[in-house]
Amino acid sequence: MNPLINGIPIHYLLGLAGILFSIGVLGVLIRRNIVIIFMSVELILNSVNLVFVTFSKALSHINGETIVFFVMAIAAAEAAVGLALVIAIFRHKKSTNVDELQSMRW
Amino acid sequence: MDEIIYMNLETSPSLLLFVFFGTVTVITALSVIFQKNPVVSAVSLVFTFFSLAGIYGIMGALFIATMQVLVYAGAIMVLVVFVLMLLSQRAETLSRYRKHPVRLVLLTVFVIGFFFLLYSALTTGVPHSEQMGKGYENAEYSFPIQGTATVNAKGNVATVGASTYLDYLLPFEMISILLLVAVLGAVILAKKKLTEVNQTKDTVL
Repeated sequence: MNPLINGIPIHYLLGLAGILFSIGVLGVLIRRNIVIIFMSVELILNSVNLVFVTFSKALSHINGETIVFFVMAIAAAEAAVGLALVIAIFRHKKSTNVDELQSMRW
Repeated sequence: MDEIIYMNLETSPSLLLFVFFGTVTVITALSVIFQKNPVVSAVSLVFTFFSLAGIYGIMGALFIATMQVLVYAGAIMVLVVFVLMLLSQRAETLSRYRKHPVRLVLLTVFVIGFFFLLYSALTTGVPHSEQMGKGYENAEYSFPIQGTATVNAKGNVATVGASTYLDYLLPFEMISILLLVAVLGAVILAKKKLTEVNQTKDTVL
């Protein structure tokens, strides 16, 4: 295992990824706008990508970067379906506040 | 291991660039979740994605950096901003948690503790693997081709491509089917029902 990646200790990269993940979790917890919750989930996915690339470099193993590519494809699919759901919900409830979305019935 | 790291740590240009991009990433990520206006949040998120692409570039993962700019900062953010404009969001007041300072403090303590747990789990748990990695030595990935011995893929993009199409061919095809299904589902979900069109002429959307 290589403790330095181009002169950067992997502790720094993992710490940055942890900070990003925590910020994403905080955003999901405190915000009430469904689109901003969606953006916080994107932050979480990005921190996971950073961890994958870091370990891919530290272990000299290319598969981490390949998996990041798959994560990005999943994120794109999630964005398409999630935002379509937001539009469908907004058309019925006239609101994007998750506190007002307490029923699964349309 | 820690001593070795701190002794070898010099002020290299890549470390300075990492500090810069990391600071920008954290500040803009905080701005994403604390801005009242959702459009400002979206613009902050674009900056977060670009600075993460910069970090990937410093680490040498050029393919990932390119895909980060193309997919995240391009495609996904266009979709998000489009939906924001379509829904004509108002600025959200954050005063809900100012009324409950105890809840806010508990939440912050929870998130900070969560970060330290996550950081210790990341740094101690996984990386002590003694097994030698496949490929990626001197950025080369040797793979067999019928009729020859082995062929080396040189460079980051070729290496990732060889790994995708040789080791991960089945997941790749499954991802393509998943994307197709997701796009069809998005169209069906967001489509206005034909019977509603005549009744509601000037409602929202």
